[in-house]
Parts: sequence; structure tokens; C-alpha cells
Amino acid sequence: MTKSLKLLLCAVLLCASTMASAHRFHAGMADVSFNARTGSTEIVHTYMAHDIDALLANLYGRQFDLTEPDDQEVLRKYLESRFSVLGKDKTRLRLRWVGMTADAERVTIYQEIEQTPLWKASFILNKVLVDFLPDQVNTVNLNEGNAVRTLTFDRANPEQPTR
Amino acid sequence: MLTLRPLSLALTAVLLSQAASADDLVLQRVLVEGSRMSQLGIADSANAGTVGQKELAARTAYRPGEMLEAMPGLIASQHSGEGKANQFYLRGFNLDHGTDLATTVDGMPVNQRSHAHGQGWTDVNFLIPELVGRLDYRKGPYSARDGDFASAGSAQVTYANRLVKNLGSVTLGQDGFARAVVAGSPEVAGGTLLYALEGMKNDGPWTRPDDYRKTNAVLRYSRGFVNNGWSVTAMAYRGRWNATDQVPLRAVQDGSLGRFDAIDDTDGGNARRYSLSGIWRRTDADSATKVSAYVIRNQLELYSNFTYFLNDPVNGDQFAQPDRRVTSGLDASQTWHVHRGDTIASDLTVGTRLQNDNIFNGLYDTRARQRLSTTRADHIVETSGALFIESATRWGEMVRTVAGLRADRFRFDVRSDRIENSGRTGDTQVSPSFSLILAPFASTEFYANYGHGFHSNDARGTVAGIDPATLDPVGRAPGLARSRGMELGLRTEAIPTMQTAVSLYRLDFDSELTYIGDAGMTEAGDASRRYGIEFSHYWRPLTWLAVDFDAAFARARSRGASLDGDRDAGRRIPGAVEGVGQLALTVDKLGPWSGALRLRYFGPRPLIEDDSVRSKASTTLNGRIGYRIDKKTQVEFEGFNLANRRASAIDYYYASQLAGETAAVDDIHFHPIEPRSFRVTLTRTW
Repeated sequence: MTKSLKLLLCAVLLCASTMASAHRFHAGMADVSFNARTGSTEIVHTYMAHDIDALLANLYGRQFDLTEPDDQEVLRKYLESRFSVLGKDKTRLRLRWVGMTADAERVTIYQEIEQTPLWKASFILNKVLVDFLPDQVNTVNLNEGNAVRTLTFDRANPEQPTR
Repeated sequence: MLTLRPLSLALTAVLLSQAASADDLVLQRVLVEGSRMSQLGIADSANAGTVGQKELAARTAYRPGEMLEAMPGLIASQHSGEGKANQFYLRGFNLDHGTDLATTVDGMPVNQRSHAHGQGWTDVNFLIPELVGRLDYRKGPYSARDGDFASAGSAQVTYANRLVKNLGSVTLGQDGFARAVVAGSPEVAGGTLLYALEGMKNDGPWTRPDDYRKTNAVLRYSRGFVNNGWSVTAMAYRGRWNATDQVPLRAVQDGSLGRFDAIDDTDGGNARRYSLSGIWRRTDADSATKVSAYVIRNQLELYSNFTYFLNDPVNGDQFAQPDRRVTSGLDASQTWHVHRGDTIASDLTVGTRLQNDNIFNGLYDTRARQRLSTTRADHIVETSGALFIESATRWGEMVRTVAGLRADRFRFDVRSDRIENSGRTGDTQVSPSFSLILAPFASTEFYANYGHGFHSNDARGTVAGIDPATLDPVGRAPGLARSRGMELGLRTEAIPTMQTAVSLYRLDFDSELTYIGDAGMTEAGDASRRYGIEFSHYWRPLTWLAVDFDAAFARARSRGASLDGDRDAGRRIPGAVEGVGQLALTVDKLGPWSGALRLRYFGPRPLIEDDSVRSKASTTLNGRIGYRIDKKTQVEFEGFNLANRRASAIDYYYASQLAGETAAVDDIHFHPIEPRSFRVTLTRTW
């Protein structure tokens, strides 16, 4: 993504944050980077706790406490069915669930592709929350060296090539 | 691992932006660290609340109706066999079997109007606790969404659309208690098929065992989400039981009758409930639509004997109150989210509720369940329609208002076995409501509520010409009796681990529904006034420990014809509860262990208008200990009435006559609480 495009996206998002009094902007984010020390590719998802809470409450018809392991399993089941990283031949790379944290504002989820460099990821499939919130936009930041490339996913574009 | 870059910062700004958005008004806040759902910014009064699935599961419940005791200040008792509707107490009311407490399950009304045994009959024995996703409650007539029977309060039970895991559970207990339930929710054809099957048997401590047997099933197919999707649900319940009705104190005191003995050992009944219902909801950023419809088939055979040999020294006073009905209804509502500028947001809702009951019921004298004579037999068609409009507005950060207007029209059509008691009539009521919510501090809200509500009277009373038993002429009751409530409340979460709510209310009724024990009927009575104060406190001092403390006090007085002497003499309302309290300690997140201890205080009640005979308060202690054997298996021990108190579950004062007696005797009649008993449950999930 060019610098000007990134700036434009920043401006749009900041405007969205100030306009949220009219309509909440539904966004999610995932940072993907290679950890040379462990040899694994790490993925950190961040979502609005409000959105995840509403998603699960409306999916199951009850409330969940995402600080509890049992309830985290429910979110894990959902996320793993909506987010995947695919190899060149479109086979799914195995994503290990490392853990998650939740507070009143955001939910952060940690996954990793063990012993796999980032370049092996050829496609990303991201349908997190888009089935629940039609205007949900998910961004995935691919951190390679000093370069960051951002992929954008929404209901019409659930899958993107990483290159 | 996250690197801070401009883009991430911008996203973070979005993620952190706190705003009054459209969907805020209909969604719950986030639950963290096992806290109870916060009602700040959500509830319109200090008395309203939501109880989640986990909190409900952490409670002990001797009977399904006790689930409603999660509503602070409510007592669910029983004066007869377990298959009978519970006796409820709330806000200084003896609600009998559900008058003035509107209960719904998945949007279907549970209260049965113009019921053979008692107005607003609320039999919740068809509830399967494992399926309940949430219980929402509110008290007082402050919502335009509430109609018939909601003046003391309303409870909405909602089943989950899908379960986190399939489960099978077996419970064995003392006094012949056994229960098995299996439930699951596989994905089928792009949707979810929720199923549950329950079988239960309970004898209770009674000399003549209740032999209560029930079979209960739920089947639901749903697509999408609760707020954007649809579901179709079928439910079936069958129960039959023997009943040990209340017994006269004099017979127990003179040793001629045991506390757990029955006088008429043919009392009891059977009940069936079948329903088919559907809900469709659509929600987007600017609007929300909900349509639900239902058809419910209810059948009850009920045999009672409260006065023994008073009316018929030869055959006894047993009577039958069969009731067969089909209830059908349609509810629809549309909400628009309207924004004015940056700070003002409104939810404007219009809705309608239509209900029709086609009822065949009657009152018969019986002996050992064999009919001797007909007191009355009726075919009732009761139809009602309601329209409501409600505007909930946030006037910036500190002020919210909810203004509502509701119009109800009822039509009563009674074809009785006597022409004098047949006829058609109708009644209409317009009910305004208004709530003001002030939030001057971040974690504290003040509430002022005002509203009108009502209960419908038994259709048979609205066209009554003569008393079918005595043939005396009787006056007709109005179709609808208006209530007027006002309330001041406070809710605070200023201390992070505590949630406290206090309410001070007044509730006036144009006509009280009074239970007539010896006739087994409710009757439209005098006007009444209640004052009350309620306190509800939740504290989680440690991550593994929660403390609940609720207390409610009420002063209820009849406003009928004034009497000489003491201003309050003769103005008491029989059975009106004066105080209710609960103290509970709940332990969870202690490795594989969990548990709860709950102390319940059921306060004193006057049993007669002049207060010369009173019911004593009772305090009982229940508890449970759960142990998770592995990830899929849990064992739980439940204990009821742990202190083994000898107290009354309910008391009445009226005249009765035993077999050996030559005249009627005014006496207390009571139904004892069950002595200490234990149950063990093994649950397996997969």
C-alpha cells in the first residue's frame, strides 16, 4: 500500500471514530508477523469487545464471560471457522490457538503458524464478524521486515492474496 | 508483538471510541471477570435486571418455578401438588398463581386469563432450566411494552438458540426424586436444531406421595442470529400428580393429622401444554423489527378440597376445575433509531399485541374425582388487542427519558350453562408511562418512573348475573382494573466490584384480585395502595466469590370502605407479603469446585383483613456443591432446607370442617415446607 493510501485510510478511520456517535464503525484488525526467534508466524487479532459480545449473545442467545476458558472456547470455535491462512495450493496452514485476553473494550486473540515463515502464506480468508455485522471491515497487516502491507476484507471480499 | 504504526493508531481510535451508537440501546454491555451484567445505561428503572445463564445455573431450585426467584423480592411457593402452578409473592402482593406477574417464555404468555382455578394462572413446570439463556425482569407498570398482569412485575424467560455443548444429565434425590434430561443443538441444513427431552418424577415428603411425573420436550429450528434471523419452536409438556393440599392447623396440633398428611387423598391433577411458536427479527444500524406468533394448547384437570366437609358432610367438598384452551397470538414491533446531532439519539418503537383465548372451563363438585354436580360450565372467548408507542431518548451523556403510551382493548364473550351468567362485554384502557434517568456521575444513575398498568378480570365475572352456587344476584366486575405506580430509584457501581440498587415505590390498584380459598377462585376486590422499598446488592470481593443480598419491604392496605377504630384495622390484604430477603454466597473459578449457599427470608403476611391472624416469617437455607471431574463431566450435590426448619410454605385463614366436626371452624390452614433433602446430579457434555 502506498503512503498516500495509508494516510487516506488513517483519515477515514479517524473520521469514523468521531462519527461513531451517529453510527458505530465496525472494524477488526489482525497483525501478522514472523518471529525469527521461534521460527513461527504470529497473528494478533484485535476486535471491539462490544462487537464480539453482541456476536456471541446473538449467536447463542445467552451472555458469555470471555475471561473464562470455557467461554473462550466458544469464541475460538467461531474464529477458527471464519479466519484461515492458506498456502500456495490453497491448503489451510495449521493455526495454533495461543490464547486470548478480553477487557471491557477489546478482545485480543493470539494465534501462530508453527515453524512456518510468513512467505508460505499465500492467501488469507477473513470472514470474522462479517456474517453478523454487514458493514464489518477487517484489516490484516502483514509485517515483513520494515514493510507493512495492509489487506482489507469485507462481506464482498472475504479472501485476499498476500502478494 | 503489536507494532504501533499510524494505521494501527487510527484503528485503535476507532476501537476505543466510546459513543452512544444505534446498537448500544439494544445490546448488553460486555461481561468480564464474572461480573453480573451491568444495567447502567440499559435499564430504565432501579428494579429492572437481567440474569444470565450462568447465574441461573448457580442457583439451587427445588422446583422450576423457583428460577423466577432470581428476580429480587420474588418468592415462588407451593400449596399443593408439584404439578400445580406455583404461588407467587412480590412487592407486597400475594400473587396467588400469577395475578399481576406477567411471565413469558420465548415471547409466549404463560399467564392464563379467565382460568378455571385462578386468574393469570402461571404454570412454569414446562420450563427446562438447561435451555434458559436469560431471564429479564422489571417491576412496576412503567413500560408501554407490558400489558395484562404486569403491575407487580414481569419476567421474560428466553431459551438459547443453540447450546455450547450437548449435554446429558441424571439427578437422583430423596423423596423419590429422579430426573433425566438430554439436550443438544446440531447444525442442520444451514441452521441449528435445538432439542431437549426431560423426564422427571417426584414424590415429595408427603404421606401420600405426589407421584408427580412429567415428560417435557422442546424442538427448535433456527437460522441466523437472534437479532437477525428466525426460529420455529415446538414444545410439549405432560404432567400428572397427586396433591397434598393445605391442612388445618387444629388437626395437626391435636395429633389427629400429621404435618405431611392429606385429608382428601384423591386430590391432584394432570396438565398438558403443547405450543408452536415462531420469531423473526431483523436488525440493522437504523431499525429493528420483530414479529412473533404462537399457538398454545393448554389442558388442566385439577381436583382440590380446601374445606373438607364444610359444604357437603356426606361426599366432602372436593371440586374439579377443568380448563381446556387454545391461546393464539401475534406480537410485532418496529424500532427506528433516530439521531439528532452528535449527542441526542432516540429509539422510537411502535408495537402491537394480539391475543385470543378459546376456553372451555368449569367448576364441578366431585368425590374421589367423580363428578357429582355442576356448579358452572363455561365457554369463554377472550380477545385482546394492544397498540403501544415508546420513545427512548438519550439527551446527551447525563439524561435519558422513556415515554410510552399503550392502548388495550379486551372483548369478553361468555356462554355459561346459565343464561344469567352469559353475555358479551368489553373494556378499554389507555396507559401512559414515563421514566426519567439521570446519570450525573459515571457509575451512578437516578431513576424516576411513573406509569399505569392493569390486570384483566376473569371474563366470567364481567358478565356475571348470579352466583351459581347460592343463586344470589352478584354485581359485574369491570373488564380491566387500572394500576398506577410511581417510583424513585438509584443504581450505583461506583465501587468497581459492587452493584447496588435501591427503589422506593407506590402502587395503587383500582381493584385487587383476591384469592377465595374455599372456592378456589380469584375475585375482583377493593382498591388498594402499596408502599415499598427494595434493596439489591451484588458484591464480588474476590474473583471466585460473589455475594448477593436482596431485601424488600412493603406495606399493603386495602382502600375499601372505611372502618371504625384504627385507621388500618380491617384494611390488611390477606397474604400480602411484608418482607422478603435473600443472602447468597456463590463460589466459582476455584479449580474444579463451585458452590452456593442461599438464605431465603419469606416475611410475615396478614391472613385476615383485621390482622388478628398472621403468618409467621420463615427462613430457609439451600446450598449446592459442584465438582468437575474432567472437562466433560460434573457432579453436583444440592441440599434443600439445610437447617431442616419446620415452617409453612404457605398459610391461609378460613373456615373448614373436618369429618368428625359438627360445625365450621375458622382456622389457619398451612402447607409445610419440605424437610431437609438432598439431590445429586451427574452431567456429561460432549
